[in-house]
Amino acid sequence: MRLPTVDDVERLIPRPDDFTSRARGTGLSARVGIVLGVAFGICFLTGLWSHVQYDPPGWLPIGPQPTQLYRITQGTHVITGIASIPLILVKLWSVFPRLFIRPPRGPRALLVEALERASIGALVGASIFMLASGLLNIAQWYPWDFSFRATHYAVAWVAIGSLLVHIAVKLPVIRQALGAPLDEGTDDGPNDSPDERPTDDDLLTRRTVLGGALVSAGLAALLTAGQTVPFLRKISVFAVRDGEGPQGLPINRTAKAAGADETAMDPNFVLELIVGGTTMTFDREQLAALPQQTHRLPIACVEGWSRNAEWTGVSVRDLIALAGADPRSDIVVRSLQTKGAFGVSVLPKQFVEDPRTMLALELNGETLSLDHGYPCRIIAPNRPGVLQTKWVQQLEVRS
Amino acid sequence: MRAVRALLLVAGVGFGLWGVWLMRDFTSDRLLSTGTWLAGGILVHDAVLAPLTVGLGIVASRLLPHHFRAVTGLAFLVWATLTVVFLPVLSGQGGKPDNDTILNRPYLLSWLVLTGVLAGAAVVAGLRRRARAAGRTAADAG
Repeated sequence: MRLPTVDDVERLIPRPDDFTSRARGTGLSARVGIVLGVAFGICFLTGLWSHVQYDPPGWLPIGPQPTQLYRITQGTHVITGIASIPLILVKLWSVFPRLFIRPPRGPRALLVEALERASIGALVGASIFMLASGLLNIAQWYPWDFSFRATHYAVAWVAIGSLLVHIAVKLPVIRQALGAPLDEGTDDGPNDSPDERPTDDDLLTRRTVLGGALVSAGLAALLTAGQTVPFLRKISVFAVRDGEGPQGLPINRTAKAAGADETAMDPNFVLELIVGGTTMTFDREQLAALPQQTHRLPIACVEGWSRNAEWTGVSVRDLIALAGADPRSDIVVRSLQTKGAFGVSVLPKQFVEDPRTMLALELNGETLSLDHGYPCRIIAPNRPGVLQTKWVQQLEVRS
Repeated sequence: MRAVRALLLVAGVGFGLWGVWLMRDFTSDRLLSTGTWLAGGILVHDAVLAPLTVGLGIVASRLLPHHFRAVTGLAFLVWATLTVVFLPVLSGQGGKPDNDTILNRPYLLSWLVLTGVLAGAAVVAGLRRRARAAGRTAADAG
């Protein structure tokens, strides 16, 4: 008996050559990688777009037009992220043997190898982080202690940054791989005895794996996209939302969860409208007695679900005009909610100016239900759902 | 190409550092949780999912008749990757008990159907391949 040496342990760790599937290969890695890279690019750009909605910088033309824009960009963000999951799994499968490449000798080569490994580690870690945290977030499952929005945003930069480094490192390899036929050298021939040697199409080829990855990505998208694409609603059996809910619309957060269920049903409820130093109040009957308008506008949630609905209510522009306020003003919207984020939001002036932006009292022809924001809620075109503040208690016009 | 690569490298390092900079105000609890998820993703893949897949591949290549190998491999690829995508909705976690407009579909049933369809497709495709190969052999002999 002797203690195992480093060499003994090293012998137990597989080497790249021990992985015999000929379906792996640079040609496959490069091609899946390109599709995945494009998908990450789409996710990154739509993600940045979503991020700036919350606090739009003045120079960005974020406004009420086009009405469905955020719905489309955020739907695309989530669908593309979901479709990336099969792609990244196949990509990682294809390059997995490379994990076992032995470190080179010589300090310089070792340093280069260590740097490349570190960039790969950042890329793989950040990529899995982005896809996993996004996938769990849309199911409202938060098994972590970080703030989703801030962290998903910060790690996105790490993911895209390490992806650019990866492309820089691999560019010659990618070009070479794309120049060669995909399935060159997949013949498994001499290892098999003559009578059991398979016909060519009995081996998993790189082309088949590439096709399988694309089909899988497509299916993942198709089977979940119905939460935002109306005609896919019936097909998307794995979607987090089926598009249904009370009054024909899903709910993101109930009144109870927001701690607004009691105050919202208070018969003495009044809406406060603050302009300058004066406060006007309206009870719900008074609001309903003002001129009403009806518009078909979407709720488009950051979680990737969306649906159009018919909203009826008072134009915010007309309402603040009653108090003599200029429609070109930002409005601070305060909700009755006591729990959770976004109890206070700012409605920027470009949305206030749009006559369709309203304090809604009715949804699809019925009095707004408690979970949809009774007694009244903000509905503006082209805004993330979380800023369509429910259970509105106060509007303060900023001069 | 050198210039393109250099540009990508510089931009990439810059973006990555910017991402790290954005986390500068995170509390240690948040950082720890972020780090756990960053490292955990790699670990779950490299130490669990990938070895499991390789192991299944070795077993399948020993047990499965030749004509069934490629079709089973393809069916497994689709099944396994989709199952990972659907894990959150299949888990029974997430959502809120007072909100029945989220996670309100029979996901397990859909997954069983998906599994059945893919397994069935692999068997049918394998049988057809075997029959076709047998036909070829017979034709060669005749």
